[in-house]
Amino acid sequence: MRKKIIYSLVLIVVCLTQACDSYLDLQPENGTTRDEFWKTKEDVQAAVIGIYSGLLNTPGSGTTIAEYSFMYGELRGGMVGAGAFSSDDQRDIITSNILPVNSVASWGAFYTVINYCNTVIDLAPDVLALDPTFTQQQLDQYLSEALAIRAYLYFTLARAFRDVPLKLEATLSDDDNFQIPTSTQEVIFAQVVTDLKAALNSAVEDYGDIPSNKGRITKDAINAMLADVYLWQEDYTNALMAADEVVNSSAGYELIPGGPSWFTTVFARGNSIESIFEFQYTPENRGPFNEIFLNRPEYLADASVLEDVFGLDFEDPENKDVRGERASLVPGTNEIYKFTGLNVDQRKSNQESDTHWFVYRYADVLLMKAEALNELDRGDEALEIVDEIRESRLAIELTEEQVTGADKHGVRMYILAERARELAFEGKRWFDVLRNARKDNYAYIDIILNVAIESAPANQQQSIVAKLKDPNSHYLPINEYELYTNKALVQNPFYK
Amino acid sequence: MKNIFKLPSVLRFVCLTLIATVVLFNCSEEKFKESTDETLNITEFLRANTEQYSLFLEILDITDYASFMNTYGTYTLFLPTNEAVEAYMADLGVSTLASVPLEDLQELAKLHILEQKIVTTSFTDGKITSPSMQGQFLITGAVNSADGSSIVVNKSAKITTSNVEVGNGVIHEIDEVLRVATKTLAETIESDPSLSLFTEALKATGWYEELDRPITYVDSVPSYLSVIAQTNAVFEEAGYNNLDDLKARYSHLDDPMNPEDSLNLFVAYRISPGLNYLADLAVTPALLTKAPLEVISIKLAADTLLINEETFNGILEKGVEIDRDPSDETTSNGVLHLVKENYFIKKRLPAPVYFDLGDQPEFRQLSSVYRVPGMWASLSDAELADVTWEGSPSVTYSCFDLGSSSRPGWHGDVLDILRLRDGYINNIEFNTPVIIKGQYKVWISWRQNSRAPNSVRAYFNDTPLARTFNMTEYGDSSTPERVLESQGYKRHISPFTSRYNCRLLGVINVETTGRHKFRLQSLAYAGGNSWFDVVEFRPVDMDQLYPKFEAGGDGLIYE
Repeated sequence: MRKKIIYSLVLIVVCLTQACDSYLDLQPENGTTRDEFWKTKEDVQAAVIGIYSGLLNTPGSGTTIAEYSFMYGELRGGMVGAGAFSSDDQRDIITSNILPVNSVASWGAFYTVINYCNTVIDLAPDVLALDPTFTQQQLDQYLSEALAIRAYLYFTLARAFRDVPLKLEATLSDDDNFQIPTSTQEVIFAQVVTDLKAALNSAVEDYGDIPSNKGRITKDAINAMLADVYLWQEDYTNALMAADEVVNSSAGYELIPGGPSWFTTVFARGNSIESIFEFQYTPENRGPFNEIFLNRPEYLADASVLEDVFGLDFEDPENKDVRGERASLVPGTNEIYKFTGLNVDQRKSNQESDTHWFVYRYADVLLMKAEALNELDRGDEALEIVDEIRESRLAIELTEEQVTGADKHGVRMYILAERARELAFEGKRWFDVLRNARKDNYAYIDIILNVAIESAPANQQQSIVAKLKDPNSHYLPINEYELYTNKALVQNPFYK
Repeated sequence: MKNIFKLPSVLRFVCLTLIATVVLFNCSEEKFKESTDETLNITEFLRANTEQYSLFLEILDITDYASFMNTYGTYTLFLPTNEAVEAYMADLGVSTLASVPLEDLQELAKLHILEQKIVTTSFTDGKITSPSMQGQFLITGAVNSADGSSIVVNKSAKITTSNVEVGNGVIHEIDEVLRVATKTLAETIESDPSLSLFTEALKATGWYEELDRPITYVDSVPSYLSVIAQTNAVFEEAGYNNLDDLKARYSHLDDPMNPEDSLNLFVAYRISPGLNYLADLAVTPALLTKAPLEVISIKLAADTLLINEETFNGILEKGVEIDRDPSDETTSNGVLHLVKENYFIKKRLPAPVYFDLGDQPEFRQLSSVYRVPGMWASLSDAELADVTWEGSPSVTYSCFDLGSSSRPGWHGDVLDILRLRDGYINNIEFNTPVIIKGQYKVWISWRQNSRAPNSVRAYFNDTPLARTFNMTEYGDSSTPERVLESQGYKRHISPFTSRYNCRLLGVINVETTGRHKFRLQSLAYAGGNSWFDVVEFRPVDMDQLYPKFEAGGDGLIYE
């Protein structure tokens, strides 16, 4: 008996001391492993829906992709100023005082979702063999969605950072190579076009319900993205074709005439006949907007926006652009209203703040078409589009410009100004300014400089203008943290 | 458990050893770093990077500053590379740093060091907020060249690597040695042949000596001066080819040394106290000059700085442009700028200013509210650029309904302050429109309210005005108006209603032409709204009653 006790004691102690060194085979408790997943078509569908969910609120990132899109697309465009709760980093972006430690220039959330896409693209095809009810057509549709979202994210990154690492395979284990150098903007844009074209072949035209048609990737969404990339590539013929695909689409997009309920229909409710692709925030899965624009405002409309962008008729206050007052912003306080308003009088409560993030709207595509037409020396047709939009939006005479179709640069600036009105605060302004300025080898860099002159603080104006003369400065730096972890990256030379 | 102690000694020993082994040896010892921070301090950083910075290190060693640059603190070092120091030596024509006079080297080293940690994000177009240890300020900016844009220090030294964090501050590497400005303003101006006429004028008026004085400190305020000079070409364009032309035009007392002579004033008007770089000018709407009580106004129009561009009585007077490129020249006792055209003190006669307190640019933007009957809007302190107050509630612009009994104010609107008193909103201060220097009577008018404060004091540029006013007091509609005027009241609107009242606050002497501060302080309790209509600044020699204001309209009504 005693011996037994002694031996078992010794055994126990030996086991305990040994256990420290041994690896136990554990399964994660809060997830599924790859071996258990990727078996059925439901798994693939779940993974694809997971991509969208990641787009709306990216796990592990305190800032949503919608807010990054806002910051990248608006902060430097001269129409947004700092609010009372802006961080120093956000203010520094507004004043072109950007250091590589600036936290706004952090692309983690984008690559998280890109990896979700890559995972679907890599692993979904194998499910075909495992699940006999999974058809090739379904697979292609899912792949099309993943490809298009990945393309759009890379497109956004390349517009904001210029050269970024291009990773097209899923990161599945710690052994993967993370030391990837950057690819140039042209390479990224070319890859984006390749992916979008591939996605187009098997894209869905109609999911059968409106929220899916507006919230998931459709053929029209892909064509809108294509038109956008082609404009950046200065390939206007293809841009025009892609835009025309959307204009002539069977979905029958049209402009909703401006009126008292226009704002509510298009923005507060969303998914209107004008909408092509929106991030489908819901009361249960809310966007960041009430927090960043209303409760603790980090961003305000620049004081000059109401007067300079939308025009103010001092004689007749009823004569106003439906897109300006209480649609884009609140006059006086300059609060950005587009994403927090319910109608022209009321805001949404925090619990119901479900306004979508508008990635592409019909008017955007129309104006892209106008831009392509103008660059193809078809200015008169471009002006027709601008006039159509202005009429529908009740634009006021003060913002009308007297240009003829032959005056190419005049039409270009008119379209740019119309885009500022139409797409105010939708994450487009800086990209529009930059795209137009960089045309023909930066022949129109004055566009950027003029924006800076108008919006820069008086005592930094000259420095800001001198900095912006260097095209490298138009892109964000690679965050220092990324440079530290990925030794293959090389910093943009402006940020020395 | 008890059984263990009953075990034979051998087994007890085995057990004990086992337990001891487990307890003592199973946890491997972790190695902790004993120092908290391994970041190098500035001098150590230089010693660690001698291939780039050995020469500057040598300067620190020669001047004995190496040791203190290694002490803890918050420093900013503008660090010239070896090539930069070599270029500097070549420029001086010396082969070793040791042959440069020690004093010069000390000044030079101190010019590169600031006693505060300043990163590039806080740079502006002008001086860095804290001076270098040498005493002179460094100016920053940015330039664009073929190989991209860079931040520059003192107009030419490019920052090649910025914001290197070290243990006791931050380092910015520069590609050129910063040079101590040794010439005074007077010497700098004289050394430029294109400023010869300006130099002559300086000498003729005695200002040359003033600009040649080294910096002195009064109560630790340095005696820096800023000069806006003009070249011979600019003079020529204005028709002045030599000093005699200038004297003939301006020197009305024929004694340029006399401070009251117009030629003396002409020069004094171009000299302002303080170290004002262009970036400082860009945010200074009115700049004091050495001409007694004369200011120049500065306006930033797009990217040009204009001197004296003003709208007076609805007429725009074109300004004179500052020539940016040659400006911002640092000297040992100030800074020098150039202008593109000739300008002189404008002689202006005092003119009345009718300041409608509700006429703020932010309210004007609200076109569906501003002067639209029945509408109102409230804005907070932070939203109004030209109004500040104590207390967090917002103030309201209110335009009354056409039928309202309050409607007869000028423009039919008022500025509405709910509870003008301590603890709610008080000490509300307005930036006035431009007022030309001279003597004025100040009148204030309001809509009577028995719950408004019964004693309010007004301040003009922090000086209290003679009379307080009572906002619960009705207007007097019976006393003859000239008699009423002699009592310090008037009927400012026409047709008149006793619901409005207007009080003479006192006489002020506006010393400089420009925008001034007007503050209202309630001395009493207020439970309700204070409705303000107009503040009138009428020159003392002007009729104080007419023109009156159109009740409920925009017009002026003459006698």
